[in-house]
Amino acid sequence: MAEFKLPVNSIVKIGKTFSATNNNAGEKPKNTRKFIVYRYDPASGENPRTDTFEVDMDNCGPMVLDGLLKIKDELDSSVALRRSCREGICGSCAMNIDGGNTLACTKAIADIEGDIKIYPLPHQPVIKDLVSDLTHFYEQYASVEPWMKNDAEVEPDKERLQTVEEREKLDGLYECILCACCSTSCPSYWWNSDKYLGPAALLNSYRWIADSRDQASEARLDDLEDPFKLYRCHTIMNCTEACPKGLNPAKVIAKIKSKMIKRKMK
Amino acid sequence: MSWDDKRPMSPHLQVYKLPLTAKLSILHRATGAVLFMGLLLMVWVLAAGASGATTWQSMHGFLSSWFGKLTLFGFTFSLYYHFCNGIRHLFWDIGKGLDLEGAHKSGIAVIAAAIILTVLTWLIT
Repeated sequence: MAEFKLPVNSIVKIGKTFSATNNNAGEKPKNTRKFIVYRYDPASGENPRTDTFEVDMDNCGPMVLDGLLKIKDELDSSVALRRSCREGICGSCAMNIDGGNTLACTKAIADIEGDIKIYPLPHQPVIKDLVSDLTHFYEQYASVEPWMKNDAEVEPDKERLQTVEEREKLDGLYECILCACCSTSCPSYWWNSDKYLGPAALLNSYRWIADSRDQASEARLDDLEDPFKLYRCHTIMNCTEACPKGLNPAKVIAKIKSKMIKRKMK
Repeated sequence: MSWDDKRPMSPHLQVYKLPLTAKLSILHRATGAVLFMGLLLMVWVLAAGASGATTWQSMHGFLSSWFGKLTLFGFTFSLYYHFCNGIRHLFWDIGKGLDLEGAHKSGIAVIAAAIILTVLTWLIT
């Protein structure tokens, strides 16, 4: 049964406020915006809270990640977040910004109206601040066995060739960076992530089902033929709305469902 | 899914701005529940009809009251919305209209159709 409320230990309290530091000229910055950031300190034993940081926009890069790093540099170095590539390819800085899941490095501050509210990816165990525990998410990814299965003997110096058309079937699939924005945006995943694989794992399963070089499509479909693993998708489409790479997991899941029916009608 | 983790659960419904597609999905579920309740209402109507004039009169009295009419109005909207959105789901099942723009447009169309059909039904009857 879906739990709509947060557990008692997860209810978010109001935290501290940090004013912007003086700029290089020693003056109070005039053009500031408020970043409201979810904080959780596992050492304190206290409930999570939201701290408010005033950030000088005249001396800040354009993206939300720039703002967060400026906060870390100048206001509170203890803010914890994952980040790496700062160009939308590593998927590390996935978080809930302004009510939607996306990458902090590709989300422009200017695109957000009002205060910039930042939370960890939804409905996940929080390790610290914006860092959530994605172990279960990765286990689900591993469970679809995301590697090529092909027993055919090929000379070591030969490639397994595809036609242009066969290769095109992988467009919209191989680009997934496993940031978890889609799965953790899905209400069905929130209520059933113990059994439902979620959009990211399903998209990656289909990435191999659709691959002309993979010989295990039937076995992969057999594995997904389950009331929960696949069919908890109710086409809510939060996944497609959230995907920072512009992919369409909802459509991909529909393709898997369609393949399920087609093979039964054979 | 029960939460037996000592660590906090990050906020979900509390902070997520649900897109139109998600709101319509909730409405589909809610109207489905209303239809189930409506079935009980239909059974009551049939049972009242089968058990004589006085029971029929009391049932008819309730459904003719403002509250009864409001209930029936809600049921009519639920029926039309669930029906129209069901057709939208059938299109999705054959892989049509699953891009963001298409899903938004069909969502607005379904809401509009449900409202128009509901109003028409109440104007005609």
